[in-house]
Amino acid sequence: MKNNLWNILKKELRELFRDKKSLAMMLVIPIFIPLLILGMSALFEMQMNKDVEDYNTIGFAYNLTEQEQQLAQQMQIKIVMGSEEELKQKYENGEIQLYITKQDREYTLNSDGSEISTYAANLMETYFNTYKQILQQNYLQENHMNADEVLNIITVKENVFKQDNFFTNYIRSYAFLFIIMAITVSATYPSTDTTAGEKERGTLETLLTFPIKSKDIIMGKFLGVSISSIVTGVISFLLAIVSLIVAQNVFSIFEGVDVMFSPISMIIAIIIIIMYSFFISGLCIAIASTSKTFKEAQSALTPLTFISFFPGMIAFMVGVVGTPIISLIPFLNYTVIFTDLCNGNIDYLNIAIMIISTIIYISIVLTYIIKQYKSEKVLFSK
Amino acid sequence: MIQVENIKKKFVRYKNKKEKVEFYADNGISFEAKEGEIVGILGPNGAGKTTLLRMIAGILEPTEGSISFDGLTYPKNEIEIKQKIAYLSGNTKLYDTLSTYELLKMCADIYDVPKEKAESRIQEICKMLKMENFLYNKIGNLSTGQTQKVNIARCLIHNPQYYILDEATTGLDIISSQIILEFMKKEKQKGKTILYSTHYMEEAENICDKVVMLNKGVIIQAGTPEAIKQETKTTNLRDAFFQIIGGVSDEE
Repeated sequence: MKNNLWNILKKELRELFRDKKSLAMMLVIPIFIPLLILGMSALFEMQMNKDVEDYNTIGFAYNLTEQEQQLAQQMQIKIVMGSEEELKQKYENGEIQLYITKQDREYTLNSDGSEISTYAANLMETYFNTYKQILQQNYLQENHMNADEVLNIITVKENVFKQDNFFTNYIRSYAFLFIIMAITVSATYPSTDTTAGEKERGTLETLLTFPIKSKDIIMGKFLGVSISSIVTGVISFLLAIVSLIVAQNVFSIFEGVDVMFSPISMIIAIIIIIMYSFFISGLCIAIASTSKTFKEAQSALTPLTFISFFPGMIAFMVGVVGTPIISLIPFLNYTVIFTDLCNGNIDYLNIAIMIISTIIYISIVLTYIIKQYKSEKVLFSK
Repeated sequence: MIQVENIKKKFVRYKNKKEKVEFYADNGISFEAKEGEIVGILGPNGAGKTTLLRMIAGILEPTEGSISFDGLTYPKNEIEIKQKIAYLSGNTKLYDTLSTYELLKMCADIYDVPKEKAESRIQEICKMLKMENFLYNKIGNLSTGQTQKVNIARCLIHNPQYYILDEATTGLDIISSQIILEFMKKEKQKGKTILYSTHYMEEAENICDKVVMLNKGVIIQAGTPEAIKQETKTTNLRDAFFQIIGGVSDEE
């Protein structure tokens, strides 16, 4: 018996690559990846390198000594003097970012804990630590003691073997979540078009009169949608890598950090993308083939975009790490394995479990759809 | 030869969410169509013609009964049967994004037409149906008549033994329907078997060797047009039909 899988796949790919909407879904969505990576990098950079001029106007509700004034000048702190009430008013008006009150030897930093006042508080903590050190040195010298010996009785050095970068991991993991979402969106349109769309246009009836086994029809459709998703996923991943290289050269937050994936990590990342593309394509076709119209299928598939994104995002936020059990859980397994990959942990057992479980899930889903296409319900349900 | 024996097709219709009604679209249909015969399946809308032809084409599964093509039966020989038939309905839709040539090439591949024969077959059909001007145009850009020609071309590509034509002329202009009627006559001359459903009684009378009249899912009369007219003492199939069903009632 002739195998018509290739004929169906050829037809599906022709339709897919000639349809403007499918092409847009496949190729336009990945363009957002560089925007996401470069945008997030710029945001982090802005937060890290905040200009001191933005938070250095500090109110003092007490008279400063000459030494304090000198120190403030050295640390670029702009001094605003006034009573507590006046300073509170100025703080509320945004004229100062923090004000300090003093009672005997106790200083209080007053603020509402906003982002800008936190920067100001950090600045003032450094200021007071330095001031405290100066007072201690003066006291020891006045009492004829060696200040250096007392204050530096022990020394502590930091030796970082390999500089880990929170921002790199954060951006890479979020970029991957976006890639997952892009693959899902890319699978949604062609799977709707090839099942419910074909039913609605009336071409499915024509297709079912051809001497083709249901298995070949479904496999052809499944591979067509999978190829579309894989193209989106791989383009997104390549753009993510290029964006990370650009970000490393442009933003100082990546200084001294290797943002690039190792070759083996890149291969595993592409395997994860391919496995997810197969999984989501099968699932989308299964859901869309139960719908009678294009619109009905689109409504049924919309929640899938969110389902594909949220488990991974939550797992990333709470710091879930890969285990054999998690590697069995669809949606979650792909993100967790990728996050582990970003952290430099490659667990081949987890990867193998993810691949095998995905193949099993796809087989179950495809068997279900093939069964449906053998029955007249696929054309005349409801 | 196509043999249809005691075919029944039950559907379920829901009156509301809880109450369902079962009904037979076709109930105990039997007839046969021999080589070189055009058999007309006649009846008004809702008579069960489309359901019957869909079952014969293997799109629907009969609830009871059997259909055989030279001894081949569903579901055991489904692929072999489909290899020998061509199904064309008034609603048959084609792939708009493909060109006529690409569609015919795809059909030739699906029906396993040898590569060296496929090209000459496409050119031959193209010449016969006068499709040279739009062979490489996308189907979505063709007129209704041109699309129907492409549909006929797709049916011819594998040189089938059986044609199942379901209201293939409905909604077409006079020229497009003539193309289909001419095509049927030519194929009959080649010894092909054609099942042709229509509610245009005059059309059937002119072209069919035998007719099977359906109403409300059952055969009300079958035979040659001449025999039916003689039996009902009428001059045409239209009058014969109304005489058999007892005229047009309010219910109709």
